[in-house]
Amino acid sequence: MERAGVGIIEADLVMDAGPCERDIRSAARGNGIRFQNVSMSFGGNRGGHPTLAVDDFSLEVAENEFLVIVGPSGCGKSTLLAMAGGLTQPTTGRLSLGDEPIVKPGPDKAIVFQTFSLFPWMTVIDNIEFGMRLNGVSPAERQRRIDYYLPIIGLKGFEDHYPKQLSGGMQQRVAIARCLVLRPRLLLMDEPFAALDAQNRTVMQEELVRVWSAHRPTVIFVTHSVEEAVFLADRIVVMTRRPGRIKDVIDVRDTTGAQHWRAAPLDQVMRRSDFQDLRGRVWDLIRDEIVIE
Amino acid sequence: MNRRTTYLRVGQLGFGAVSLGVILFAWWQVTANGIVSEFLLPAPAAVFEAAQRLSAGYLGSSLTAHLVASLSVVLSGYIAAVLIGVPLGILMAWSRPVDIAMGPLVAILRPIPPPAWIPLAILWFGIDLPGKTFIVFVSSITPCLINAYVAIKEVPANLINAARMLGAGNASLLFRVAIPAGLPMIANGLRIALGSAWATVVAAELVVATAGFGFVIMSGYRNIESDIMAAGMIAVAVTGFIMNLLFREVEKRVIPWAEHE
Amino acid sequence: MAGVAAWILVWWGVVSVFKVPPEFLPSPWQVAKKILWLAANDIGEGKLWLHLGWSLLRFLSGFMLAMALGVPLGLLMGHFRPAREMLNPLFEMLRNVPPIAWAPFSLLWFGASFGSQAFVIFVAAFPPILMNTQQGVRLTDKGLISAARMLGAGSFTLLFEIGLPAAAPAVIAGLRIGLANGWLALVGAEIIAGPGALTGLGFLVLVGQQNLQATITIGAMALIGIIGASLDYALCRLEASVARGA
Ligand SMILES: Nc1ncnc2c1ncn2[C@@H]1O[C@H](COP(=O)(O)OP(=O)(O)OP(=O)(O)O)[C@@H](O)[C@H]1O
Ligand SMILES: [Mg+2]
Repeated sequence: MERAGVGIIEADLVMDAGPCERDIRSAARGNGIRFQNVSMSFGGNRGGHPTLAVDDFSLEVAENEFLVIVGPSGCGKSTLLAMAGGLTQPTTGRLSLGDEPIVKPGPDKAIVFQTFSLFPWMTVIDNIEFGMRLNGVSPAERQRRIDYYLPIIGLKGFEDHYPKQLSGGMQQRVAIARCLVLRPRLLLMDEPFAALDAQNRTVMQEELVRVWSAHRPTVIFVTHSVEEAVFLADRIVVMTRRPGRIKDVIDVRDTTGAQHWRAAPLDQVMRRSDFQDLRGRVWDLIRDEIVIE
Repeated sequence: MNRRTTYLRVGQLGFGAVSLGVILFAWWQVTANGIVSEFLLPAPAAVFEAAQRLSAGYLGSSLTAHLVASLSVVLSGYIAAVLIGVPLGILMAWSRPVDIAMGPLVAILRPIPPPAWIPLAILWFGIDLPGKTFIVFVSSITPCLINAYVAIKEVPANLINAARMLGAGNASLLFRVAIPAGLPMIANGLRIALGSAWATVVAAELVVATAGFGFVIMSGYRNIESDIMAAGMIAVAVTGFIMNLLFREVEKRVIPWAEHE
Repeated sequence: MAGVAAWILVWWGVVSVFKVPPEFLPSPWQVAKKILWLAANDIGEGKLWLHLGWSLLRFLSGFMLAMALGVPLGLLMGHFRPAREMLNPLFEMLRNVPPIAWAPFSLLWFGASFGSQAFVIFVAAFPPILMNTQQGVRLTDKGLISAARMLGAGSFTLLFEIGLPAAAPAVIAGLRIGLANGWLALVGAEIIAGPGALTGLGFLVLVGQQNLQATITIGAMALIGIIGASLDYALCRLEASVARGA
């Protein structure tokens, strides 16, 4: 895979000159997402008492923003993503995308699941194409988008492989591609790189930045890796332990200025002292929340 | 396959051949020395000879005629069971009202072993094709239905969520996600059902029939021809084995993505 | 439960609305009455209790034998590779014969009254017990075995103190399958041996058909279903409690 050595602005120009310039987003305005006093409790089945997973969570994510959520295990990060994706409804509070309330899942709110969740009976191509078929994208357009993304995710030559014949990293790239081809307004990613080894992870982070930069859907990205958060995020939300509340919101852009870290290769960025400092700050915030139960 | 596994394979085959050889030898010795009477246990040579008699034609039917008699019952009952059992199982798993309505009926009928239906089937449909078809149907619908039901119920939630996220509606979820996802397990049920159908038709033919392998074995018993009995059992085993083999081959072609044994 | 009752009512309704002749399909009430009648009157060699007793005796003998041979042999085959490789081809071959097809030979060898049915049950219940035990031992956590080795366990300690407990869930699963197979085979064998034995629930099923009395046939089928389901339920409970202990 080729290294993403270009800045965002440059990348934007390169990508937008490609064959997919017309997309849903440019027509629709307002792709920010808003959480208003969102709480979620899971009913205590069989007499157990209910679990309050997310408590009074309020946040606005701007259009085109790359938001990263970090927090201790079990604090409700996946629950938040499921609600943002419309897969579940909050117990109280409201969520909206643009000016529409989020009531059901759909291709405008794409999710990359932690457990790839590819369809085992479909080949790579079929997996990527499935969402477009469901949404009536014309065959010619489907082909164009596939031709565009397949080389980007480095799976040319694997079109007819089944998921079980791919490595974990390759499967995750297919899972990302099947979301990107839909041109979602909102891209939700739940620890997408957790299953990858360190090298693959770095490459994937840089690739993600590259493909994301082309259309810049609003992103909410959940991770356990503080380094990944600091590298990718515009803003970082640190959550408390369960019930999950917002502990702090850190705007990475305050430190980086206009030239975001993610535009450069990770290994260069990691050596910077301001990067190290910010990483330490986020890590301190999380450390307080970790308890061994 | 690398060298080492090849050696292992050859070694296993060798072991197997030796142990089967020992059994054959023991069988031969026991019968040749008259330790066991030939009425009770025919000699290997006698079974071979009986197999030749059987393939030349036995009790008014050629080998093919016996085979066709058994197979036509199996196929008609089995196909009916698949056509009804699989859709019903899927429907029960997918729709709660259907589940509530049909579940208890399945719960009532399932514990009754298929052979117990043989007399009732004779009473209702007679001893010919309809009666036996019914018994085979009863014996093979259970695995078809149960596996289809469990297959759909246990489609991983993450696949359903992924499809909903991609924009799948209810019909797409069922036909393009849940059913394909459940296919390996449904196929497994169909294979079990086929074995069950075969065992049941043999059982039915043992009770009452005028042709078929079960009839051959039972006639051997009535005429005190233990060699014919053994030859009939071998015919049953070989046919069952081939059916299973064919099924697995088809399965591999139709469901190439699944993990096959 | 309510659903089960509803279906029985449907059966009743269909029979009385369409006036189905009882020789063809009796009503649930007629079947229940017949079961009570069977408890008080002789048919074949005796009353219902005798038939029930014979069936259970045959079943338990065949099943116990399958367990008594299948579990130890399975342990042996799971533990010692040569034993496995000597015997498995034989069982692979025999597996292709449906157990019920042994009924005629079994009649020849053991007679119609007891042995033939017990043997068929044995043949039906033995393979799953053997195979599951063997699998259970083979799949025993390798780490567990090396840990025990390191602690100085010998081959037999290993088998009985580690292999057997670790394999217990698989063994019980095998027993459950064996139980279902055996119960199925019992009915088949009793029907095939029926007129020669004059005892057993399977015989009752058969005798009902031969005398054009569907009430007896269906009553016996109901009892067979209920007993089979209860046996399975009992082993299910055992399985659950072992799973909890493990
Ligand atoms: N479907 C559910 N039913 C009941 N409780 C649930 C359900 N889903 C999540 N929970 C509970 O809600 C809490 C938050 O779960 P969630 O999966 O959102 O955590 P998370 O932050 O994603 O954790 P991790 O980092 O380990 O993935 C947990 O305590 C969990 O037990
Ligand atoms: Mg999570």
